[in-house]
Amino acid sequence: MKTLLLRMEPIVWLLFGAGIMVGTLLLPGYLLTVTLAGPLGLLPDGALAYDRVYGIASNPIGRLVLLALVALPLWKGAHHTRALAVDLLGHGADAPVGSLLYAIAAVGSVLGILAVLAL
Amino acid sequence: MADENGGELRKRTFVITRFDPDKDQVPKTQSYEIACRPDWKVLDALNFIKDEIDPTLSHRWSCRMAVCGSCGMNVDGEPKLTCKTSLAEYGDTVEVAPLANFPVIRDLVIEMDGFMEKFKAVKPWIIVAKEKAAEEGTYKQTPEELAAYKQFSMCINCMLCYAACPVVSQEPEFLGPAAIALGHRYNMDSRDEGAAERNEVFRGPGTVFQCSYANECSEVCPKNVDPAAAINQAKLNAVVDWASGFVVKRGK
Amino acid sequence: MRPADPHAMQPSKPGSTRTAPPQVPDDFWTRPRMLTYLLFDATGIVYLLVGLVVLRVAWALTSAESWNALMSEFASPGYLVFHAIALVSALFVGVRFFRLFPKAQPARIGPAKPPPRPILHALLYVAWIGITLVLLAILGGVWP
Repeated sequence: MKTLLLRMEPIVWLLFGAGIMVGTLLLPGYLLTVTLAGPLGLLPDGALAYDRVYGIASNPIGRLVLLALVALPLWKGAHHTRALAVDLLGHGADAPVGSLLYAIAAVGSVLGILAVLAL
Repeated sequence: MADENGGELRKRTFVITRFDPDKDQVPKTQSYEIACRPDWKVLDALNFIKDEIDPTLSHRWSCRMAVCGSCGMNVDGEPKLTCKTSLAEYGDTVEVAPLANFPVIRDLVIEMDGFMEKFKAVKPWIIVAKEKAAEEGTYKQTPEELAAYKQFSMCINCMLCYAACPVVSQEPEFLGPAAIALGHRYNMDSRDEGAAERNEVFRGPGTVFQCSYANECSEVCPKNVDPAAAINQAKLNAVVDWASGFVVKRGK
Repeated sequence: MRPADPHAMQPSKPGSTRTAPPQVPDDFWTRPRMLTYLLFDATGIVYLLVGLVVLRVAWALTSAESWNALMSEFASPGYLVFHAIALVSALFVGVRFFRLFPKAQPARIGPAKPPPRPILHALLYVAWIGITLVLLAILGGVWP
């Protein structure tokens, strides 16, 4: 498991880097509208109506952005949570926690691709 | 209270870590109260204690001008070059301990062989496939080529960065800040052709990717080497090198 | 003092004298700089959860019923608090990461030369604010 993790390191780091960069660039705009202002009723009527959001998300750029918002935070999250586990629990936690987290990120990314294709 | 030059002396208590491998199972502390001159560095106080009070106290030092890298210790919990650290920054009680994250040989003296192994692992010398013949002249470098690595060549191997690093504390195999910065320094040197070899070391068991960019190494570095910058540049280069391995098959 | 990993910085062969095991100061993990770093790593947990919630959003878009159900779920206090924490995390990650990012660029990346560090830092903020404004306009129902 340790050897596999070591071999995955460059690709994981690339996905992590994309996650921290693209994820952080995209998240405030998404969080402020869809998850905060929308549910609190602060947006104009119909802004988050199903038909409108579906139209935005299902165009090619929309699909890409949606996929980025699913997959990239997962990899950023998995990688940083693994580092936190090593900080707090020692290097014995690295392989088990790391493998579990990357498995979650990988499955989540695949489900994200499927969801975006299904739109 | 004043010294012979009229400077005000100040009483300070030094709480110093002591460890005698022949007697002690674990390190303990011992306190020394001394009158310190206002212009003293932490190292001056340690030398005063050793010379005037307790000759059994062991600590490393040499140049007193922040170039030899011998006198690194944890002062009030922060890794410092004691010859460069003014006592004026501290209160009446000053804790001096050996550098964190290192095995301790005696008192304030740490075991540095582990560091030397990591240091050698990154092949910190210029690697060329074929040495130029003397009559072909010297290796020339533009100021821009020099600037690409100069900062990373200023390391004095004082190991403060290892004492500060949370990853070093938890991951024994991690190459660590100074060694990676030095390897990167050679990778960025226009005269060097060994980047592929070092990138394999960087992706090996002590991998650069264990660094989680706490930036602590750069916070404590007394020579502004900025090892954290070097490590994270090295990560990108190691990834580019890894990816190019799929495009171009390398001859061995 | 508290223990570091017992093998930290140990040579592969022990030296001739017995050594005391590596230690760190008692407050090694709780100094302000280190806490900021641990918090930075801890945002990983938040990002991981955000990714999973956005996965729900993506799947909810398959029908109007599931979308409306998810939107009313988002109005629950638990989700609002979580998303507020997520927003603070993203802002914290941005501020710290965009400060550390420029110096992580090598002097040369292949044939390309990254811009000077202060300019790169400023460009990241321009991109961050620009993208946020565009998303606010699109998802906020203002544009198109």
